This record gives sequence, structure tokens and C-alpha cells, in this order.
Amino acid sequence: MDKNQDVQEQLHATMPVTRYQATIKAWCIDAVLWSYSVLVIYKLVYQSWYLNLRHLDFSWSEPLACGIAGIIVASGLIYTRLSVGKAITGLIEFKDGESLFRTAAVRLGLVFLLLTFLAGLQVSQVSMREFFSDSGLTGAQRIFTALLTPNMSIFEDALFAAIETVYMAFIATAFAIPVAFILAFFAARNLMKHSALSFAIYATVRFFMNLTRSIEPLVWAIIFSVWVGIGPFSGMLALFLHSVASLTKLYSEQIEAISDGPVEAMTATGAHPIQVIWYGVVPQIVLPYLSYTIYRWDINVRMATVIGLVGGGGIGTMLMQYQGLARWNEVGTLVIMIAAIVWIMDYASAKIRAHLK
Amino acid sequence: MHLLTADKLVKTYPNGTQALKEVSFSVDEGEFLVVIGLSGSGKSTLLRCINQLHPVTSGTIQFEHLALNNLQGKALRQQRSRIGMIFQQFNLIPRKTVLTNVLAGALASTPVWKSLLGLYSAEQKRQAMKYLSIVGLDHKAYVRADNLSGGQQQRVAIARALMQQPKILLADEPVASLDPATSHSVMKYLQKINQELGVTVICNLHFLSLVRTYATRVIALKDGSKVYEGSPTDIDEQWFQTIYGEDAVEVSIN
Repeated sequence: MDKNQDVQEQLHATMPVTRYQATIKAWCIDAVLWSYSVLVIYKLVYQSWYLNLRHLDFSWSEPLACGIAGIIVASGLIYTRLSVGKAITGLIEFKDGESLFRTAAVRLGLVFLLLTFLAGLQVSQVSMREFFSDSGLTGAQRIFTALLTPNMSIFEDALFAAIETVYMAFIATAFAIPVAFILAFFAARNLMKHSALSFAIYATVRFFMNLTRSIEPLVWAIIFSVWVGIGPFSGMLALFLHSVASLTKLYSEQIEAISDGPVEAMTATGAHPIQVIWYGVVPQIVLPYLSYTIYRWDINVRMATVIGLVGGGGIGTMLMQYQGLARWNEVGTLVIMIAAIVWIMDYASAKIRAHLK
Repeated sequence: MHLLTADKLVKTYPNGTQALKEVSFSVDEGEFLVVIGLSGSGKSTLLRCINQLHPVTSGTIQFEHLALNNLQGKALRQQRSRIGMIFQQFNLIPRKTVLTNVLAGALASTPVWKSLLGLYSAEQKRQAMKYLSIVGLDHKAYVRADNLSGGQQQRVAIARALMQQPKILLADEPVASLDPATSHSVMKYLQKINQELGVTVICNLHFLSLVRTYATRVIALKDGSKVYEGSPTDIDEQWFQTIYGEDAVEVSIN
């Protein structure tokens, strides 16, 4: 009984606090939303449409003024049903059966979305006039004719470059497998949660892997091309690093999804922790691992062509060179070659993975 | 001296659940002790506390002359290897042969590098085949374990436990996922191991009919406390209701 009362009292004590916090959160969301919309309306509707300015200048005073305006509007709206922040934090109760679109806050949210859409059109300079202009269409005709009459005299060079790309992707994947295999055990929550030290290792590994993964291979290729020089090696290193990060994530998620039974059974036989992993964990993950790895090789071949564009070697680099010389017939040959490799890799990896299940 | 003595075992999980409340009991060599109780009464926790799969919060587990709850690392693994265990879900290694599964029972006595390469001695393989023939599955030695039926998988698990040459066999609801006929077959193998090989058995069970047939002694748990200890034939209607609640009706497996 006493325990129950305690829980009740705690609930009463915490309720106003959480409501108070939610209101502050709602007010912050409102302030940001309104500052943003005031700024967009000022730049888009007033400067771009009304004054018809071609180049919009930027000064810090505008966002500052809009920020103040947003805070004022948000403060005024926080006690009304027009507060989007209150709808998001759950402070506005929706009636059962009532359509969401009848709620004022939801409608206002849609207006914000529409505003963003219009600003997006303006910023990306979407223009039907240029898309269908005469000079534009002749340009399109010229390049498509060239692309569709590929110059087959460079076929052998292109084939050689394509093989380089596939091998580069293969080596990057092969080097990534053992590293990711070991790191995955340290990045699996179910194996590492038992002590503070192991959890710290888990968090560190996860952090660095997420960091590595969030930087595009293209960027890594630029970094490595400065480090080891332009060519397949820098591309391979970029793919290797990115593959380690993403395979570690996929592998560790697979480890987290295993059934605990065999692990418990192996522990109960008095096996050493390494034996527990080898007999209790590894047999459960081998097939999914193979499947992921083959898929990764497939992805790496595709990425390798893109990485070639920044000097990572292979067919991408060749494409880049001919594009720079505006020799579109040769570019056409290369595009066909790339499409063929990607299609073959995609088909083969799908077939192999289907058989692994 | 008893083979195993549990004294005032308390197990509190990190989320605050008190799974065991000062449970004490002892087991003599050659007994077939059955633990009964409702789901959630602490039976599984009790077995896992014996071989320290779950470390106890307080209390002691005395196995021969060693306090298991004080052991760690190699010393703990060495004692665990003398206590076999089988599970409700069998917990065999998937995608491996029956023989490999049975040999896994010898991991504690095999150097780590040898077991990683799968190098077991001829003597170990001979033993594994012997235990497989005890549970009547020697003809299935090279079949993948996950292709066997439930009852056969549980018998492989028994052979794996025997491979440890255990003093005690812990059985956590060994027949709860099996049909009635298979249940009796698996229980008969446990009885055979108990009587012919002299392995002491501590077994969690649901069905009182099975308890009356196979147990030499019974303890009952309710909400983590021991509420009954005695002979299986002494559990009458009144005791049954104390253990399983007022509304319970006995269901039997024949």
C-alpha cells in the first residue's frame, strides 16, 4: 500500500513539471517556425515577387528581426489552438473521429509546408521556359544523338577501366570484411551491455562508425587522393573505409537479432567466452553476413564509378576525362559500359543472395 | 554432506522484480528433484542461479565443497562444466550437425584454439557417439540439428549435457514445447540417465502427472518463495490449490 501511495504522490509531483516543460518546448517550436516563415515571406513574397529582385542579398539583421517577430507571434499564440508546437508536443487533445485537417494548428502547419515548397521552387530556379527553349532542345538533341551513337573504338580501354573498377570494389570489400567482422562484436549492444567498460567501448565504436559512415565515400576519395595520390588506390581506400563502417553496422545489428538460447547453452557448458561466441553466435550470423557482404560489393561497384569522377580511378575517371573534352560519343560508350556492369552485378548479387536464404 | 545446498537465495533483477525470496533447499546425490510452480514463480531463475547464468543477489550455492556464487572466470567455468543443462527451446546450435552439437558439450575441456578449428580428439568423438546412442540418435549423427523433430532435438541436448560428464543435470521445462507422447519419451531418457548413470537431476515441470511419475522429491515455488517440499505423492488437492491458486484445476498428461 505504502509503495502505491508513493507512486501516486510522485505522479502528482511530476505532472505539472512535465506539462510546464512541454509548454516551453511548444513555445520554442512555435518561435522557430514563425521566425522561419516570416523570413521566407519577406524574402520570397516581398523581395523576390513584389520588388522582383534577381539577386537576394543576405544580412544578419533580417534573420534577427524575423527572429524577434517570430518570438512575439509565438508568445501571442501559445494559449490558443493555433499553436503548432502544442499540437506536436501533444498539448492539444484531438477528439476521436474528428478529421485532423479540421484542426487549426494542423492547417497552419500545412501553410508552413506550402511556403517551404514555394521557396524551394524559387531557390532551385525551376523554369519551364528554359527546359523547353529552342537552344535548350537543340543542345539536348546533340548530346542524345552522340550518346546513342557510341564510339566503339574505345571499347577495349573502357572494358579495361571497367574491370579495374570491379576489382577495386572487390578489394575494398574483401579488406573491409575482417575489420568489420571483429568490430561488429564490439558494436553489438547485447554482447557489450554487461559492464561499464564494455559499454564504453560499444559507445566509442558506434560513434566512430557513425561518423565515418555519415561522410560520403566521395569526400573520403578526395581526402585519400591528396594522401596517396590520384588513382584506384585512393578510391579503394575510400570504399574500404565506408564499407567497414556500414558492414559493422549491418553485422552488429545481425548479432543483436540472434536468439539468446544457444549463447546461454554454450555458457552453461562452461565454455570460454571466445568459444561461446564461436559456437553460440557465429553459426547464427554466417548466412546473413555473406548476404550483406555480397550486397556491399554490388554497392561498392556502383560507388566506385562515381568515385572515379573525383580521381578514384577506373571507368569513372575515364568518363570524367571524355566529359571534360566534350567527346559525347565516347561518353556514350562509357555510360553503356557502366549500365552493363551495374546491371550484371545487381542481377548476380540478387541471385546469389536469394540462394543464401 | 549434500551434493548441492542452496541457502537463502535472493535474486532481484535490475528492474526491481524479486524473482527469488530467500529460497533454501538441498539435493542429495542420485535424487530426481522436481521444481513446480506457476509461470513467473521463479523456477527458471532458480535453475539459472544454480549454475550462475544469473548471479545471485544474496545467499549461497554450495556445490560439493565449493561456494559457486563466489567463483569467477576459469574456476566458475570449470564448475559449470560439471553441471549440465537442457532448456525448453532446446538451444541447439543451428546449421550444425548433431555430432558437432554434442561435441560442444566438451568445450570446457578443449583448448580454445582447437575448438575454433573444430579439432576434437578421436576419444571425444567416440564418447559423443556413445552418448548419442544412449539417447537413441546415433544414426542421426551427421544430420543437421535443426532438421530434427522437437523431441529428437531435446535428446541431442541431453547428449550434449552428458558430454560434460555432469554430476548434476538442470532441466528447465524440458517438455513444455513437446506433445504428450514425446514428453514421456524425453522424461524417460532423463529417468534413465538418473537411474543408470547416477546423474542427479533438478527439473522444472508444469504437469503434476509427470511430477508424480518421475520425481523422487518435489519443491514448489510461489511468487519466488518456497511453499512446499516433500514427496510427490503427498501433493493433495489442498496443496495443489495453495501452489497454483484457488481456481486451478488439475490437467494431466497420460
